[in-house]
Amino acid sequence: MERNEIKKEVKIIFVSVLKNNNFEISDELTANDVDGWDSLSHMVIVTEVEKHFDIKFKLKDLNKLNNIGNLIDLVALKTEQKLILPDGL
Amino acid sequence: MSEYILRNATKDDIPYLANVVIGAEKGNSNKLSYSTFFNLSEEQVRSYIIRMFEEEVDGCEFSLSSYLLYEYEGNPVASVGGWIEGFGGEVPSKILKSNLIAYTFNPESLEFVKTKSDLIKEFQAEREPMTLQIEYCYLSRRHRGIGLAENLFKRHQENAISAYPAIKKAQVQVFKINTLSIRLCESVGFKIARTYKSSNKEILNYLPSDEKCILEKELQ
Repeated sequence: MERNEIKKEVKIIFVSVLKNNNFEISDELTANDVDGWDSLSHMVIVTEVEKHFDIKFKLKDLNKLNNIGNLIDLVALKTEQKLILPDGL
Repeated sequence: MSEYILRNATKDDIPYLANVVIGAEKGNSNKLSYSTFFNLSEEQVRSYIIRMFEEEVDGCEFSLSSYLLYEYEGNPVASVGGWIEGFGGEVPSKILKSNLIAYTFNPESLEFVKTKSDLIKEFQAEREPMTLQIEYCYLSRRHRGIGLAENLFKRHQENAISAYPAIKKAQVQVFKINTLSIRLCESVGFKIARTYKSSNKEILNYLPSDEKCILEKELQ
């Protein structure tokens, strides 16, 4: 899956969870930059991204995410791994 | 006091720390927010809290490294958690906590909490970066009133100043109804800096109180 495509889909998830369209998705964007990106919405974003892309994050990966760019890269990596390693491997 | 040993929490203390979190969250009530907001029994919450501590993520209220405790006759009897918010460029504690919950709790409970988001969002306070955050505090009943909590607060402050000499402030969030905790904080120099109240009375079905206080203490 292309990075730009992931970025667009991640933006849709953010807008839906935060109920806020008043921000531009940039790689540097953090929780401190967006109204409503609090602990609960972060939790929901993580679970919605996992559900949407049919992936499961590792905790250590989640805790390294400093911004949206990191999240997009992680989704790209996980979706790529999913293609290489079928379920159960 | 000589029979009491003050030390850092270790993995063996995790079941006690789960009691600390649950006891402190309930305050003087029978409302446990992790049960009510996630539609879980207290035993389920306890097992998830234990799993979160076992992950050993530093920098939030579910970090083993955040807790100091008193041991008496070989058993933990009092504990207070504390960390420097975002210390060393770390991810904010709210994100670490959310990651732990998202990773640990069952999918049904995460779906349930989404339905309560409006109620919760209105009642969240931001933690100031690079301040000492104290949370949670709990003492086993027969060890109260002899200064253990005060000493644990003091040690947290000393540790924070030692780790980050420029630290300016410590903060505690307490439900307004929890007058014992407020008095304890005031006895060690904290003052109520602000209070905030939910406009939705429904929150009383989920939390011990609809009003919270943020207490602060200057550290320098």
